[in-house]
Amino acid sequence: MEDQAEDHEGAPELFLFLASTAHDMKNSISVLSGTLEGLLGGADDKDVSHPAYPQLAQMLYQTKRLNDNLIQLLALYKQVGKPEYPFDPRPQHIGELVQQVASQAKVLLESKKIILQADFPQDMVWTFDEDLIIGMLTQAINNAVRYTHDTIRIAVAESAGFLEIRVEDNGAGFPQAMIDAGVSAMSGNITGVNFMTNSSGLGLYFASEVAKMHKYRQRNGSIHLENGGVLGGGAFVVRLP
Amino acid sequence: MNSALTNALHPAAVAAAAANIDWTEKRYLIVDDFVGIRQLLRETLRNLGAKHFDQAASGGEAMTMLSKTHYDVVLCDFNLGDGKNGQQVLEECRIRNLLTPSSVFLMVSAEKSVESVMGAAEQQPDAYIIKPITEGVLLTRLNRVWQKKQIFREIDQAFVEKDYLRAAKLCDEQIAVHKLHAIDLLRMKATLLLKAGEPDKARAVYEQVLDDREYNWARTGLAKIRMNNGDHEAARQMFQGVIAENRFYIDAYDQLATAYQYMGKLEESCDVLEKAAKLSPNSVVRQRRLGLAALKLNNIPLAERAFRKCIAIGEYSIMKTVDAYFGLARICGQKNDAKEALQVLALAQREFTGELVQLRAKITEGLVYHESGDYRRARKTGDELEEMLNDDPERPDTPTCMELATLLFAVGVKDAPADLLCYVIRNNHDNMVLLDEVQDIFEKARMGEEGAELIKAARKEAADMMNKGVLLWKTGKLAEAVAWMRTAREALPNNMRILFNSAQILISHMQQNGYNRDLMDEANGVLMHVDRIAPGQQRFAQLIEQLALLMPRKDPPPIENFGFDEEGGE
Repeated sequence: MEDQAEDHEGAPELFLFLASTAHDMKNSISVLSGTLEGLLGGADDKDVSHPAYPQLAQMLYQTKRLNDNLIQLLALYKQVGKPEYPFDPRPQHIGELVQQVASQAKVLLESKKIILQADFPQDMVWTFDEDLIIGMLTQAINNAVRYTHDTIRIAVAESAGFLEIRVEDNGAGFPQAMIDAGVSAMSGNITGVNFMTNSSGLGLYFASEVAKMHKYRQRNGSIHLENGGVLGGGAFVVRLP
Repeated sequence: MNSALTNALHPAAVAAAAANIDWTEKRYLIVDDFVGIRQLLRETLRNLGAKHFDQAASGGEAMTMLSKTHYDVVLCDFNLGDGKNGQQVLEECRIRNLLTPSSVFLMVSAEKSVESVMGAAEQQPDAYIIKPITEGVLLTRLNRVWQKKQIFREIDQAFVEKDYLRAAKLCDEQIAVHKLHAIDLLRMKATLLLKAGEPDKARAVYEQVLDDREYNWARTGLAKIRMNNGDHEAARQMFQGVIAENRFYIDAYDQLATAYQYMGKLEESCDVLEKAAKLSPNSVVRQRRLGLAALKLNNIPLAERAFRKCIAIGEYSIMKTVDAYFGLARICGQKNDAKEALQVLALAQREFTGELVQLRAKITEGLVYHESGDYRRARKTGDELEEMLNDDPERPDTPTCMELATLLFAVGVKDAPADLLCYVIRNNHDNMVLLDEVQDIFEKARMGEEGAELIKAARKEAADMMNKGVLLWKTGKLAEAVAWMRTAREALPNNMRILFNSAQILISHMQQNGYNRDLMDEANGVLMHVDRIAPGQQRFAQLIEQLALLMPRKDPPPIENFGFDEEGGE
């Protein structure tokens, strides 16, 4: 860590302080979300009807948002997408990917009484950076919790040589400003008004950087938002070569 | 695409993945300095059905527990506050054999870790896992590691037995049925082929992998093969290409430094090592290498920093090395601080034991006296060492012999150091880099011309000994050839080519006259000695393969004609 600090000329002490504080914060958030998941996951029928239950569920949702934002800020600080970032693509089993994403979201979705559907080819293998993609999809699901009525669907399929992963919901769909923010994030136009004023800006920027890092035979990954899909609401779509 | 609508949360999906392994009866160790995280992980494990778990709050505590109890699964945080970090716990476990092949070591970190892409340079855990850890992710990773261990079990076994070609064949069998692990298996196969002395086949594997996708390890592997073929400039460019793509791929830095070394560009080599040590500062091995490179270049401040860092991280590492103490003592001597130099030497002898350490401490002490201007004490140390050489015919390893010769010349002795250097040459008569270094020592002692003559004579002596054995073999006098090579080995116990030819003649004898238990043991002993003093030689792997074919079995082995490694004239 002291040697990373040397790269941040001018304020190495500040960098060290920030890095160790961030490490501490991650531990605290882990404990916080773990404890909430333990409480919510262990609730019986009587507990579920208690007026505090939905409030607890909301706390978990907010904690997860906090965790996502912290990870993204750290990742941006460490320059995702640059050669400086530890990018590690390997062949992965799609079934395992979906299972891990679903397990990350399980308690939150159950406590919010949201159903998760999954649609994916059982034996498919694709090459990507597993931790980055799990982080991106978990965050897309957390985001869909805000927009959905009662169902979220994660669908994976091969399409024209790309792996297409969709996170769809059955809510009223994304507002146009949000869809535009997705386009701005992909074009790298982070000074665009739509992008910066939207609260999802950081998440979309992060997702687009992660997608773009995935390259194979002169083709790059991408993300976009759209409305429609199988459930008729909003859809977050990532395509990986 | 045939896609079924399923619910990923369905217990059947989880059960199917976990079908072949029961995690509930395993013994777990949780290592984290944060009590909240330890409690959380305990809950997570309990929810998975686990019953037996211990916890440790520091690397030191973890080591104590790991040396007392066998754990099936270790969940270890990378960042453990003061003392050992997670990587050092892992290193020590591997070196002290505290983990069995079936144990799982998971490295936990708060963010995506740089260590995961460092390459072969550092010890790798079975998997990395990012906080917060949930049951589903933990179970998936455990099952995946387990499956991979099953796939690699026979391959690893053959690897341990140094039966590299069989291991490579096993890789092919597994690649055919395990698409998910094909890349890992190909990487292993290339490593095995290199170990078995088949660089052309290894190159084909790397090229096959790179044809599909750019992998740092495959590009680095190709470059290493180029480097070993003497194509240093091409290798240098390839290593630099890998670094431009991925600044964290430390293995490429270490290799680039080696390429520069072969090219005689010692300053560039040292610069690269300095950069690598900045990116990954906690490697004892790398700091040692940097210190030695800087010392050679007389870059005193850099060498001092590297040796001090090496000693500091070594405090908690199983890899700690006495070389750093001797290096630092030399630096102190050159800075005219004989007092600290002697303190460092005393410390080295407290921390490390063995006759060689005592001897090297004595030599370093003499050099320190000499370099700090205390010629009287330097002379006294030199006299004692000279006497020791006269009393004991045994000689230490090559670098120690060279340091001893340097000291003896410095204090004015002539014959003993010259003899010592001739001994070094006889045992390394075809190592051109070493010949230059020896010539250098003679030059510094103002014996350049005389040294050149001595080197020439020593080389001839070794070559003659070897050629006599080969001639006996060629004229069909196999028993005499075997006997002669025994004499040659006694005179030159560490000469690689004599050792290899010795083993080859023993094998040849058995190929013509049948298996013989004593000769088999002798050949095996010679090869094991070679592998100890210079591990990973191509010819070692080839001879081991031939020896394996001679082991008695029902079908007689085919008799083949093997080419000999003959020494040309001067």
